[in-house]
Amino acid sequence: MEKIYVEKTASRGIAISKIYKYEEMDLKPVQDKIGEQDKEEHIGKFLNARECVRKELEELAATNEIFSAHLEMVMDFTLEDSVKSKINNNSDNAESAVDEAISEVASVFEMMDDEYMKERASDIYDVGKRLMAQLKGVPLPDIGNIKEEVIILAKDLFPSDTVKINTDYVKGIVTEEGGVTSHVSIIAKNMGIPALVGVKGIFNKLNTGDIACMDAGKGIIVISPEEDVLNEYKQKQQEFENEKLRLEKLRDHSVVTKEGKKISLCVNVGNAEDIEKALPVKMDGVGLFRSELLYMENTHFPTEEEQFEVYKRAAMLCPSELTIRTLDIGGDKELPYFEFEKEDNPFLGWRAIRISLDMKEMFKEQLRAILRASAFGNVRIMFPMIISIEELKEAKAVVEECKQELRKEGISFCEDIETGMMMETPASVILAEEFAKEADFFSIGTNDLTQYLLAVDRGNKKIADKYSYFHPAVLNAIKHIINAGHKENIKIGMCGEMAGDINATKILLEYGLDEFSMSAGSIDYIREELLKLTGVI
Amino acid sequence: MVSKKVTIINPSGVHARPASILSKAATECSSEVLIIHGEKKIQPKSILNLMAAALKKGTEIEVQCDGENEEADLKKITELIESGLGE
Repeated sequence: MEKIYVEKTASRGIAISKIYKYEEMDLKPVQDKIGEQDKEEHIGKFLNARECVRKELEELAATNEIFSAHLEMVMDFTLEDSVKSKINNNSDNAESAVDEAISEVASVFEMMDDEYMKERASDIYDVGKRLMAQLKGVPLPDIGNIKEEVIILAKDLFPSDTVKINTDYVKGIVTEEGGVTSHVSIIAKNMGIPALVGVKGIFNKLNTGDIACMDAGKGIIVISPEEDVLNEYKQKQQEFENEKLRLEKLRDHSVVTKEGKKISLCVNVGNAEDIEKALPVKMDGVGLFRSELLYMENTHFPTEEEQFEVYKRAAMLCPSELTIRTLDIGGDKELPYFEFEKEDNPFLGWRAIRISLDMKEMFKEQLRAILRASAFGNVRIMFPMIISIEELKEAKAVVEECKQELRKEGISFCEDIETGMMMETPASVILAEEFAKEADFFSIGTNDLTQYLLAVDRGNKKIADKYSYFHPAVLNAIKHIINAGHKENIKIGMCGEMAGDINATKILLEYGLDEFSMSAGSIDYIREELLKLTGVI
Repeated sequence: MVSKKVTIINPSGVHARPASILSKAATECSSEVLIIHGEKKIQPKSILNLMAAALKKGTEIEVQCDGENEEADLKKITELIESGLGE
């Protein structure tokens, strides 16, 4: 028996099954050079193979869009030119010409910065494999032929493989390559198949027919488990299924305390797609919309119009409250198109609201976009990193200025839009009573608050054990914030990691937290805990 | 030769699916089609070339068409990009 621990979970779940080792065919090209008289023939071979692949792909493209792109790729004239020139100029045979041309194209993608584009190299290799199999006249191995329950073990899985996965038989997936954004991860998640990707060295440890257990949520694979471990995993698997059903049933319950106060369960998101994906968990709203992603994944400061479209879509998707945090960059978050001066202490430096207030025109574009979106849903504005009443007043004054402009221009927005602030600096905690008079709501950002209160860098492994939001100083600060806010009758939310930590739920409920905001994956668990604590179930 | 400037509106930029739609449309054009992005020249008839250019949302590009049917081709390609390439 051997246990392997993995860091990247592609898709949660438990699987116990025989291993099906999905081995690559030997598609290495023959290397012989060819003579002048054979060049015509080899170009013909390539064109023939391509014609066969085109027919294959045309059939597949009818039911799956990925293959339309593959079809365009295989027929691409740059690929054709490249293969022909290798045959004509380097006297390569058809196989090695195709192999090299495909590698060249794929390497362009592999070198790109963008994770998504990097993964597209696998599409190109996929096309290359089809061409090569045709040239060699061998059939490609076929996942569609699996007719018993298995965990598929592969170096990597390509779109043409995953499309044939039958969930009746494929109970788990383990790959040696690939990241959590790779094709196989996305497909596995969609199909609800437990999957672990990027497990280095696993391929040679296992053979077809070996028994393995995997807990993809925890990132554990057990090879040839002993009897007791096997039983343990069988039980885990049953529990996982039961848990899923049990949690799904709770989604229609809302959390109300014994005193009759409704507790909101919200999600933290980076874009409108995240909201869409989270809708099945039935959250009460969005407690944190990180607007910085819009800035970070861009080539320029997003314009008012661009931002408006995004916020509007988010507002329309959101079941109720949508809390948009204004730009929070600096610290560890940079922009590709804007040069930040190097700072000795970036976390104590020019970041978040400090940047927004210094770059007022940019700030106004964002605020106008948020205000305009407020006509389409229940939108709230939240300022990050506030340390003084003056800052909060200044930010609110800019909001007021934008409102004036919009009124003049006759553009509609919600007049009573709420403006609140993140509670994440020690200064904001100490002055919480004053802030509560100025802000319409608070949201406690426990990640930064903990590191600023304890003077512990959360990224530093040496002192990682000192970083804890259960430190009495942090707990006291949270209690103080909630009390100060409630005195002024404003709602207090929390959008840091702590809100999604089931071990913290009880204490936060006791302190009187009104809103828990977390990643969508945690909602079901926290909802159940809250329902238990409030005596509903 | 005729040309027109357009902006990419696809939320995730010109990734595989929109690139496949654009390259298919460009291949159907009888004129020579070229996309200018900054210093880069991209051949939209090649999906590989298009994807490698990794055009992001909000990027302004210039479409050039040169040949017999250039007016109609330019209209077709720019309208396709402006409509979000099937997304």
